[in-house]
Amino acid sequence: MNKRLGKPVKVLDSLPLLIVCIAVVSSLYVVCFTGIASNNAMRYMIQIFLYITMGEMWNLLSGFTGMTSLGQQLYIGLAGYSVAVATTKLQHSLGVGLLLAVAVSVVVALLMSLLLFRMEGMYFSIATWVVAEAFEKLFLNWKYVEQGSGLTVRVVPYPKIFEICAFSLTVCVAAVAVVYILLRSRAGLGLTAMRDSITAASACGVNVFCHKLLVYVIAAAFTAVAAGVFFVNKGIVYPESGFGISWTVSMIFIVTIGGTGTVAGPIAGAVIYVFLQEFLAHYPGWSNIILGAVTILVIFFMPKGIMGTLQEKLGFEVFSAKRFSFAKHK
Amino acid sequence: MYFVQVIVNGILLGSVYALLGVGMTMIFGIVKLTNLAHGEFVVLGAYLSTVLAPLLGIDPVLTLVFTVPLMFLTGFLLQYFLIGRAMKKGAEAALLVTFGLSIILQDGMLMIFTADARHIVASYSMMTVSVGALEVSVLHLVLFAISLVSILSLSAFLKYTHTGRAIRATADDSDAAALSGVNISKVYSIAMGIAMASAAVAGLCVGMKWTYYPSSGGSYLLIAFVVVVIGGMGSVPGTMVAGVLFGLAQVIGGANYGLLISYVMLLIVLVIRPKGIFGK
Repeated sequence: MNKRLGKPVKVLDSLPLLIVCIAVVSSLYVVCFTGIASNNAMRYMIQIFLYITMGEMWNLLSGFTGMTSLGQQLYIGLAGYSVAVATTKLQHSLGVGLLLAVAVSVVVALLMSLLLFRMEGMYFSIATWVVAEAFEKLFLNWKYVEQGSGLTVRVVPYPKIFEICAFSLTVCVAAVAVVYILLRSRAGLGLTAMRDSITAASACGVNVFCHKLLVYVIAAAFTAVAAGVFFVNKGIVYPESGFGISWTVSMIFIVTIGGTGTVAGPIAGAVIYVFLQEFLAHYPGWSNIILGAVTILVIFFMPKGIMGTLQEKLGFEVFSAKRFSFAKHK
Repeated sequence: MYFVQVIVNGILLGSVYALLGVGMTMIFGIVKLTNLAHGEFVVLGAYLSTVLAPLLGIDPVLTLVFTVPLMFLTGFLLQYFLIGRAMKKGAEAALLVTFGLSIILQDGMLMIFTADARHIVASYSMMTVSVGALEVSVLHLVLFAISLVSILSLSAFLKYTHTGRAIRATADDSDAAALSGVNISKVYSIAMGIAMASAAVAGLCVGMKWTYYPSSGGSYLLIAFVVVVIGGMGSVPGTMVAGVLFGLAQVIGGANYGLLISYVMLLIVLVIRPKGIFGK
């Protein structure tokens, strides 16, 4: 197009990519339902699907919109407790529990937006974390949810593992699709404009509040569904395990390793994260040291993450968030 | 009388919270960096004092003679060789490096010092003195004195020394300071050294007052955040006021509601004055 932007990147999101995607996703469904995969393999797949969902949502907030939240665990904790209350306390099915989780998260996200969107940058990050911590303290003192001793999640009838796997896959595919479609829409242009300069975007007529709200609520809802499934697997939710900062630690790791601001990044990041964690389980005590070292090394030597670097080196882009893509000048 | 007792305890403890925030506010204000490893620095300081005091057979407070220079040097080198280089790649890269450091330190300390609860004991830990009808813990008085001396000497250093002026100039406008001959990366390294030295002092104080674990860093980081944001980032007097407010909330709310009250307080401050009480 012009020289300053460099040569256009091949964007692999036309018909061939669509076919590949459908093939991959349907073969994953086949693996889920036919029992080719062992239960152990399915357990990994479930983790990967759920972490992809959470990673995509954190990436949507931080990498595409510039809202670096340290408090997505708020919706994870709320979802865990919603599922626990609906299934154990009120004797409803898991479906009702997940619906309740989404409903609670969306309502809380709408309320929180009034408070949080008054802040930007660092202040926003800190405030999100503080809100999550405040909720943790609230649940620690709340009699109905058994305070600090936690709430069991007893789902009757307990879903079979392949059902959980298929459901997680559906959530994950939906999350990627929503992020992709959102970013390619008119709203997506507004979002990336806001990330790069909020003042300039606002001056160009982007409705900052509405765009932020849309992204924040979508992220809360998807994170809640993924977290709900997580806690069904775990069987019990504590205030510390639900509202703990370690959830955000995982999301940051997944997105940084995979590539901030790329749709394919969190997918690569989540796969690496789950296998790395499994591998590190053999070296107790070392896991965070190695995760931390990997994060620092990636920042120094691959600041764009795995997908970002590959994209630059090979000149193509899977799931491009941009309508036009240009390789950076060397 | 009970009311006065609560206020006195709140103010005495508040100085410790202010001390936790000072190192954070330095980094915010001068280096313009969110240091997610500050809590782990504090815990590291606490461990150093815990180990050194019985080893050398001295009062825990005297271990500061060793821990403060050691932590200053560590902070200087970390900023010079690691964080400073990441900052050239952008603010988010630097933030993530401090995040990486924090989880490395956390598990490193877990391996070296095990997950057991630790506490720094001094000969006067349990003593109290009576002032009229007031019962004041000697430990609280010692902590108050340590915090006050550290914060005041830091303020004096920033105000009257040549390096202090260079630091303040950098905080105001790093480009203009660089044009006037200030070595910015050295100033940043000194600031990180001071922040880490203050974490050594804060670590001693929290270790003498409460039990702590290798995983305590997150909660100290959060307290430092809350204090710094309430006070206004980069403002040392603001941090002191916020520390006292925070201390009062802890004493009034007790173990169950103290933190909750201060979180709500922070959110209210952020809504009314999004840049903190003393923020510019």
